[in-house]
Amino acid sequence: MEPTFIYTLVLSATLFTFGIIGVMWKRNAISIFMNVELMLNAANLAFVAFAREFGLIQGGPLVLFVMTVAAAEAGVGLAIFIAIYRTRRHIRADEIDLLRG
Amino acid sequence: MGAQFLIYGILYVVAVVGGLMVLFNRDTVKSAMSLVLVMLALAGHYFYMGQEFVGAIQIIVYAGAIMVLFLFVIMLLNMREREVMPWYLRSSRYTGAVLALAFFFLIAFGISTFGAVEVASATARPAPSNNEIFSMLMTKYLVPFLLTSVLLLVAVIGAVVMGRRHDPETGEEYLIDDEEMA
Repeated sequence: MEPTFIYTLVLSATLFTFGIIGVMWKRNAISIFMNVELMLNAANLAFVAFAREFGLIQGGPLVLFVMTVAAAEAGVGLAIFIAIYRTRRHIRADEIDLLRG
Repeated sequence: MGAQFLIYGILYVVAVVGGLMVLFNRDTVKSAMSLVLVMLALAGHYFYMGQEFVGAIQIIVYAGAIMVLFLFVIMLLNMREREVMPWYLRSSRYTGAVLALAFFFLIAFGISTFGAVEVASATARPAPSNNEIFSMLMTKYLVPFLLTSVLLLVAVIGAVVMGRRHDPETGEEYLIDDEEMA
């Protein structure tokens, strides 16, 4: 086992935790979105680390699919933010409660 | 090993510091630039692990395309205002931080019990080459690979539909609102 494997997993967990904290701390919807991207990146790092460690080929395609989903998510999500900004003049996530029951 | 490990350590520190900067920068633009830094450091990790294909895709798609989209929207919405938390949200930050740290220690516990699979890794194949990844995409994962193109098409159409400016009375469509620009 390569010694850096465990460290890489710890880095992945650390970045994922930063992402979680950011999602819970930030108020701006775009900041929340960026922290979601950070979490996706951390997951990608874990995928690649495992694929490298165990000689699996599936890691590369899986990361490619995650990136595709992230790109699609970013495109649609940011368009939604622009649409919300047009009517409300802000995108503060705690104040957009149109669907609150 | 020594020089390689030094490079690894530098990439590691850059990634962690960049993550902290994403978290603690109140300026959205600086936060986004820190995220670019993290993504470049992770691309360095992929290169270090011999996964050049993934590293290149990481730089081109993530650091290049997605983050430019983010910065463009930040510019478009002119969000240079600093984030200020209202009083009712401040106390919940501590709860959130404690929960996230609990999650981290849960994962760290899982990683620390990882020694058991060492036997499996001893018999593992060598790290996959980029050729293998490409041929895998064209054979075994052909259908998911094609479905991602459909997903991207749906996302493009969805982004255009969500982002367009539509006047329900006249049925007119335009991209820039005149009174907003004034």
